[in-house]
Parts: sequence; structure tokens; C-alpha cells
Amino acid sequence: MVMQMVKIVQQVLLMGIWLLVIPAIVGGIVAAGVDKYKRNFPFLWITGQILLWALFQLICVPVILKGVEGTFPQVLNYYLTATAVLMIPAVILTIRNMRDRKKIFHIVSGKDNNKRLYHIMWGIFWILLLFQVIMAGVMTYADGDDAFYVAVSTITEESGSMYLRLPYTGGSTGLDTRHGLAPFPIWIAFLAKVTGMRTVIAAHVAVPMVLIPMTYGIYYLIGRRICGKRHRERLPIFLVFTQLLVLFGDYSFYTAENFMIARTRQGKAALGNIIFPMLIFLLLIILQKIQENQRVEWMWWCLLCSVIIAGCLCSTLSAFLTCLLIAAAGLCAAAVYRKWKLLIPMAICCIPAVCYALLFLKLA
Amino acid sequence: MWEYTIHLFKEYMGTGLIIGWFLLSAGYLWFTEKQKHIRILFIYVPLILLILFFTPVFANIVYYFVGDEIYYRILWLIPVTVVIAYAAVRIYGTLKSRIRILFPVAAGLLIIYSGSFIYSNPYFNKADNIYHMPQAVVDICDAIEVEGREVMAVFPVEMLQYVRQYSPVVCMPYGREITVERWGNTDELFAVMESEIIDAQDLARYAKARLCHYIILSQDKEIAGDLLSYDYILFDCIGGYDIYLDTTVYIGF
Repeated sequence: MVMQMVKIVQQVLLMGIWLLVIPAIVGGIVAAGVDKYKRNFPFLWITGQILLWALFQLICVPVILKGVEGTFPQVLNYYLTATAVLMIPAVILTIRNMRDRKKIFHIVSGKDNNKRLYHIMWGIFWILLLFQVIMAGVMTYADGDDAFYVAVSTITEESGSMYLRLPYTGGSTGLDTRHGLAPFPIWIAFLAKVTGMRTVIAAHVAVPMVLIPMTYGIYYLIGRRICGKRHRERLPIFLVFTQLLVLFGDYSFYTAENFMIARTRQGKAALGNIIFPMLIFLLLIILQKIQENQRVEWMWWCLLCSVIIAGCLCSTLSAFLTCLLIAAAGLCAAAVYRKWKLLIPMAICCIPAVCYALLFLKLA
Repeated sequence: MWEYTIHLFKEYMGTGLIIGWFLLSAGYLWFTEKQKHIRILFIYVPLILLILFFTPVFANIVYYFVGDEIYYRILWLIPVTVVIAYAAVRIYGTLKSRIRILFPVAAGLLIIYSGSFIYSNPYFNKADNIYHMPQAVVDICDAIEVEGREVMAVFPVEMLQYVRQYSPVVCMPYGREITVERWGNTDELFAVMESEIIDAQDLARYAKARLCHYIILSQDKEIAGDLLSYDYILFDCIGGYDIYLDTTVYIGF
């Protein structure tokens, strides 16, 4: 009994390290390249996770496409090595950033505004967030697609083979290239392997408990951006409204909000609730800088590119959808600002997505 | 194709109220928002995306490459939640004194009324265990797993989507794909397993043909005949299900 408890605590701690600590440290690399931006914990954590997802996608897909049995350990080794290499500058930069550690955890500030409503709304936000995280643990949603995606994760972790087994029934099959180009389930299998947690628990419990707060972290970043310093008191109200729209988003089976709560463990849910809002956040920053004739630091473009690659991890459709959004936003901005040159870096950022799309068309 | 696009949009809209609030919010921002980068992302881009969504040529191209089932995901690019929330706080910012305090409450109640609480969805249930799998599936899989090899077992339809999430070494002759009507899969063994009264002889014949080590049947299921007459033994009874083991197929015991 005691040994079992120790094992569970170990698994939870390791999962916390991989889903919270390591991404937050890696986010230090991004923060170092965007000097003037507030380096708060949500920014560090989310940008770090995006970078790690992009890295995982770049490593995993070529190994999958080899179509050879038992290559999951290769992905593990390459990814662990790459993460370790990334951690070296990340740790150095994080230690440097820790000089601003009060600002890093400066998410809520009573000093910004003393009005009672402000504090009440922040209180409501945290209560609703805690409610959703707890519900992710105690409630289950019976979705048929889990029979595919979670089974892929479970098979991969157990057999070491990726997309070469039939998830619904078992037995061998030819390489499932279509799904192999968006190996989000393999990332879940990776988490299960490195933490020792059973894959089905990692998929149904651990990942949702982290990705749901991550989504609100992105809404927090967007809210800070659009409310601005002058109207910071509106931020918790904005966040509570987003939570209500999510919690009462079951008016349709097809909304991203429905996927966020009900199907968090699936890549497409991460696509609709993390990748797309993150793109909106980055575009808000980039377009404002262009509008104000400020230099757009190269790290923002790198981050934009990373989000697009991370989107390809989540879903094969992401290559098309992310490019569509960038194209629509880029063309609108170019026309409004009369600055057609901004299309060049945007187009360059879309190159990985175009490559994945071409791979999909060729192979699948 | 046009009708299907409209159908998809209606499905996405659901009751229509939240999308209605989004359109009103976008309209409000059209007249009040001065910052160009916000206008671009919250008004112009959603408008372009909606136009594209309903454009037949565009729809045809996308259908050709990715199919029509997931075409609605283009609508995920429209930041509905952010636009409504932003418009609401902008309106809040224009109000004074007591109305200002009441506004978030009123707006919140309006959102609650317009939507549907996600946890009241009938597909949401309290989890039986930490795996979020029915306890019977967990217990049956644990009972029938054999170390070092895969086993083949035929399960009732209500268990199909869970088995291989929990245990990758328990294989099945058919899985969740058999339950999705539009995929058009059929299986004789499935037909026998899900018939109102199971014919034991037919079940044994088809299960043996598929090299099934185990047959799992609900204790509520009516069977004509007795599987024990066809070289099966009752291996175990777990969670309201009987597990029959085929003694003619080597499993390693």
C-alpha cells in the first residue's frame, strides 16, 4: 500500500515536471528574445510548451514515416536528448529571469485596482478554474474517438510501435500515414513512458487537468493584451466571461469549447483551444507592433512558426487551417496598414505547414 | 453541397443564441472599436472566414481534400468566445456606477441562459475509477490478460470502445468501427452477439472461426443453447458479465 502511494506520488511529480516545470523553463528562451514583453508564468509556460510540441513534431514524424516496428524508443531518446540540449540555455535564461521573479508570478495584483468587484471576479475565476480541473478528474465523457486515439497511445507505450497496429481490434497493419502525421497520441504515450503513469490515466486525467488551465492561460494573455494597462480591472471580468462561454458551450456538439472540456485528450481539442487562440494572441502582438511601426522581434516570428508546427502535431487539418488564418489575417493587415511586406515573414512561417500538407497529400 | 454546408453551420450554431451574441458583439465592435489590429482579428478575419465557409467553390475544394465531415472546423478559427467576452467588457467600460456592477451579473446570466451546461450532457458521467473506464472493462481485461502474449476476446457492444484504451494486449475480432453506421462495416459475429436471443451454436462457430479465446456476455443476455456444450468453460463472472474460455484454442495456460 505504502509502495503504491509512493509510486503514485512519483508519477504525479514527474507529470508535473514534464507538463509544468520543463515548459516554464523552456519558455525562458522565448522570453529572452522578447525583451519588452511581460515575462509572467502563463507566458513562459505556454510558449515553452508550444516550443516542446513543435520539437516533438519535428522529431516524431520522420521516425513514424520510416514505418518500422519498435521505433518509439528512438523517438523517446531523440526527444529527451533534444529537450536536454534545449534546457541548457533555458535554465541559464530562467535563472537570469528569476531576477524578475515577482513579475513572473504577478498574475493577479491587488495593487492594480482596489475595487471590490475586481477581487470578486478574480475569486470567481479561480473557483471556476478549480472546478473544471477537479471535474476533469472525477467526470468522464464517453467519446467513441477515444477508442482510436487513446488506444494508439496505449499501444505505442506498450509495444513500442507507432501506427502499425490496428487500434480498434489489434493485429498488425500498414503504416497509418494520415494519422501518423499528427502524432498527438504519441506525445501522450511519451508522457506515460517517462512518468510511469498508465497511458489511459495520462490521457483521461493528467493531460486534461493541465490543458484546460493552459487554455485559460492563453485567454489571460489575450485579455491582458486587449484590455491594456489602462483597463486592467476588466481582465478578470473578461476571463470569467470566457469561462462561462466554455462551461455553457454545450449548445452544439461541434464547438471548440465542447471539445475542450469533453475531449481534451484528443489533438483536435488542443488545436481548437490552444493552437488557434495562441495564433490570435501572437497576431494581436505582431499586428499591433506593425501598426505602431515598431520592430517585430524575430522571436515572435519563431514563436508563430512554432505554433504552426505544434498545430500539425495536434491535427493533420491544422496545416490547412493555420495557413488559412495567417493568410486571412495577413492579407487584411497588409491592406489595412498598406504594408505588403509583412506577408513575407508570415508566408515563411507557414512553410512547415505547407510541407506537412504536401506530405499528407502525397502519402495519405 | 450547399445544403450540407448550411446543415453543418446549423449544427455548429446549435440553439443559435451564442452565435447571435457573437454577431451582435462583432457588430458592436464594428462601430466602436478604433484599434485596427483588433478590428482585423475580431471583425474582418471572421467575416472573411464566414464568407469562405459559405462559398461553394471553396467548400468543394476543401471537401475534395479532407472530406466533408470535418469542414465545420473552419469555424473554429473564428474567435467567438474572445469576441463576445471582449465586447462585454467594452460595454462594461462605458457604464457608470451601480449599473456597472450589475452588468457583469446580467451578462453572465445571459450567457448561462443562452448556452447549455456542459456537465449536464448525458455523455458525462462520474468516473468509475482513475482510468475513466467502466469498472467491468478494467476487471475483465485484468482477468483475461495473459502475460507475454495477446489474447483475442469478443465483447458486447457497450464495451467495445473501452477495451483497447485500457489494455493493448486484449485484441478483438471487431471494435468500435462496427458501431458507426455511416462507415458501413458488418460482421457476422457482431450480428450474433447483438441479436436479441443469442444462438450458442452460431456464436461458438463464429467465435472459433475468429480464433477468439474468450467470449464475454452480459448475464442479462438470453442465450438459446449452452456454450458449455461447444468446448467452452465458464472462466469467470465479473461485474454482471460471464467470461467463457474456449478450451480448444491454446492460450498458454
